[in-house]
Amino acid sequence: MFGHLKAEEFVNLVEGVKLPSERHAHLGACARCSAAWKSMESVHKEFSSLERLGTDIPEPDWDEFRNSVRSELLSRSVQRASAVRRWTGWPIRPAMAWGLSLVIAVAVTTGGFLWVQRTAAPVTVSSVPVAAPVDVDTEANVVDSAISDWSQTDLFDELVNLEEQEQETLRLLLTVAQQ
Amino acid sequence: MENSLTASTPIVSTDRNADAALIERYLSGDMTAFDELMIRYERQIYRVCYRFVENREDAMDLAQEVFIKAFEHLPSFRRESGLKTWLYRIAINHCINHVKKHSQEFVEVSEAIGSVHPSAHAEMEARQQRDHFRNMVGLLPPKQKAILELRIHEQLTYDEIARMSGRSVSTIKASVFFALEKLRKLVKDQKVRKT
Repeated sequence: MFGHLKAEEFVNLVEGVKLPSERHAHLGACARCSAAWKSMESVHKEFSSLERLGTDIPEPDWDEFRNSVRSELLSRSVQRASAVRRWTGWPIRPAMAWGLSLVIAVAVTTGGFLWVQRTAAPVTVSSVPVAAPVDVDTEANVVDSAISDWSQTDLFDELVNLEEQEQETLRLLLTVAQQ
Repeated sequence: MENSLTASTPIVSTDRNADAALIERYLSGDMTAFDELMIRYERQIYRVCYRFVENREDAMDLAQEVFIKAFEHLPSFRRESGLKTWLYRIAINHCINHVKKHSQEFVEVSEAIGSVHPSAHAEMEARQQRDHFRNMVGLLPPKQKAILELRIHEQLTYDEIARMSGRSVSTIKASVFFALEKLRKLVKDQKVRKT
């Protein structure tokens, strides 16, 4: 509480701000704080006097200054605009055309491939059972029965279409064969 | 109107509403607003820049760059702080970067100035002493120097400096203290060297 003055207190003191009474009492009693304050005050005064003596800061021609800022701003905005135009202008258009055609080619190829895939999909699905492993004997039986079905039907059709004389001849042949 | 634009008298009042209206006008393409904004702040910004480089041409270049940067970024200015604070912040950061980049040159120039003056006449001696002190101020870290200049020469309040630098008032006061302390030590060393 009654220690040496802090940095902030020294600054306040140098700038003429009054300290609380107990801190002021410390300043009066403490040689170290008092010496620090006095030397700091002299430096502060000397620094402030630089301004009084140096009021001759040479001033520029403000109109000229303003014009230079304005023209620099304008030239920079023109540069920015031309930079943007450079990226969208003629020099880049052939490259853009090539790029676009490449993209279209890739898109058409991909689209065609996907379309083919989609249309081929049902065939693939229906072929799955055929492609499934099937017992060889079962397959043979199926084929035999199909052949026999075909033959019987064919024979029956032929028998139905025979004329009376041919039917008689066939009956005789069968009888002889049975005997 | 034309006269008032070219008069370039510093306008002390930096009313935030007036600034906001000028910004709106500038952003909507009214170039007279540009002039008015420039007139409001050109002198203050130039002076801050001058304090860093102590050279008219360099200060003009720095101030010009500060205004160009500010006008280019004006559409993104969020108006959380005043325009003055914002401009000062840009100026100080720009000047500090400039000083850091060219610190070697400054030291050489400062030493050259210090060695030129003869110490015969009393007036000359006083001038020399002032130049020495100015050189010592130049040896302060750029941020401390900026804070000291803003407080003592530009007479900005601690609140304003704190807002500009994004630090607390206590930190700014501590910076002023350390800057004065360093100057005190430099002066003392100088005196010891002389004797």
